[in-house]
Amino acid sequence: MELSGQIFSWVYQYFDNMAFLLLAASGLILIYGMMGVINMAHGEIMMIGAYIAASAFHAGAPAPVAIVAAGVGAGLAGVVLERLVIRHFYNQLLSSLVVTWGLSLIISQAALLILGPSIMNMPTPFGSFSVGGFSFGVYRMVLFAVAVALIVAVWALFRFTAFGIAARAAMENPRMAAALGVDTKRIYTLTFAIGCALGGIAGGMFAQTATISPFFGQNYTPMAFITVVMGGSANAILGLIYAALYLAGVQTVASNVFNPYVGYVSIMASALIALLVMPAGISDFIQRRRARAMER
Amino acid sequence: MAAAAQLSLSSVKSGYGRVKVIDDVSLTVATGEIVAVIGRNGVGKTTLMKTVIGAVPALSGAITFRGVDVTRLDATRRARLGVGYVPQGREVFARMTVAENLALGMRVGDAGRTNLDRVFGFFPILAKRLSQQAGSMSGGEQQQLAIGRILAGRPDVILLDEPSEGVQPNIVQEIGRIIRRLQAEEKLTVLIVEQNLALIRAVADRCLIMDKGRVVAEIAPQELDDPETAARHLSI
Repeated sequence: MELSGQIFSWVYQYFDNMAFLLLAASGLILIYGMMGVINMAHGEIMMIGAYIAASAFHAGAPAPVAIVAAGVGAGLAGVVLERLVIRHFYNQLLSSLVVTWGLSLIISQAALLILGPSIMNMPTPFGSFSVGGFSFGVYRMVLFAVAVALIVAVWALFRFTAFGIAARAAMENPRMAAALGVDTKRIYTLTFAIGCALGGIAGGMFAQTATISPFFGQNYTPMAFITVVMGGSANAILGLIYAALYLAGVQTVASNVFNPYVGYVSIMASALIALLVMPAGISDFIQRRRARAMER
Repeated sequence: MAAAAQLSLSSVKSGYGRVKVIDDVSLTVATGEIVAVIGRNGVGKTTLMKTVIGAVPALSGAITFRGVDVTRLDATRRARLGVGYVPQGREVFARMTVAENLALGMRVGDAGRTNLDRVFGFFPILAKRLSQQAGSMSGGEQQQLAIGRILAGRPDVILLDEPSEGVQPNIVQEIGRIIRRLQAEEKLTVLIVEQNLALIRAVADRCLIMDKGRVVAEIAPQELDDPETAARHLSI
């Protein structure tokens, strides 16, 4: 095994870990940043996406189409959840945590009742390549590219479109937005649905790397949750990127120096330490420092 | 003025939860009329404005706008019918640019670019600051943006809540002139809550005096030239 392979392996793992966090957390942080709700059922939304993608794939749809279907299906599930439940808990962080945790239990148990404990699979496409005697899957890099593309798309949606401007107004001052004719309820429903659609796409993407079961979501919710809390809501998208850069770095180093289990635990530990220093998350911390620098 | 009533309230009561702030207000504002609501602090002027736009629900009574009963409509629907609101404290979207604030205002109307040029005609400074964050502007500039944002949606009635607050005197004068121009050129109907005697005198056609949640009297603006009358009705 050559040194070049060893070095590339670290870089590869860093991007792989980042892709995992970015994909798992993107929908969650959008909902948290825009509406002050942490959706603990986000993993179950991903599970729904994974099942839709796998079912569509086995029914003959090409994988990209299956993944888009996962996004659409999860988005529609999001509309239903928002109308029935989430709507009543905006900007109530603790209540929303408990309620959505309950939802996550209901959805995963319902999936278990309906689909049984059997598992589904999707093949991992694109094969592999080797560097310095190490073999690497191409698909992991595709995951990273898709994660980046999704984040850019969401950023552009909220930055440039009429919907995005109305959504940011509704977030900053819902009463004034309503007085300007913005239908804030509709904006919230759509934003929640977009967050769920991102979860569905992520579920469809991960369906090609992991086995799908009713408890599929549990693999992702804790990490996504930590990433979101670390990122903070001051600037959701930048927060997500900062948190993923930092946590993936810690995880990559810890799992190579020690082992993958230590890598996993190190994410929790490093998030804990970071939150002691930056209680409102990285994006809030950076915004404050910038504001202070501007004052000088 | 003999013109048709643009906005009318009849026996409206409203408040927050069980605390009634507006206790039986009836008033009418005719098309193209500028009516000032004056009174000391805490008599319910701002709550009255919020009740008219639908941010605070009316507990009883009726609010009609151009003959349409809007009492049960939410703020979004009322805005789309042509009721524009410039709140106390301006409430521009501080983290968004001037252009984005104006774009939000334009949503309610079928307005296009020519309409924005019309707004820049009233407030030239906005055209020069399009990409600036609204929160970083001075109080007077934010007030111009708040009014410009509403004008961009081409409302038929605007409600102004203390537009002079925290704004330097020359800008207050300018706002007064613009309100008069809007009345003359576009027959805009205005309900204004104000404490600034000079601005009331500059724009108001008549003054309603509020006390303890009721309209207790109506006076002509000239009557406020008497210092005693002014002192009685304004918190100076």
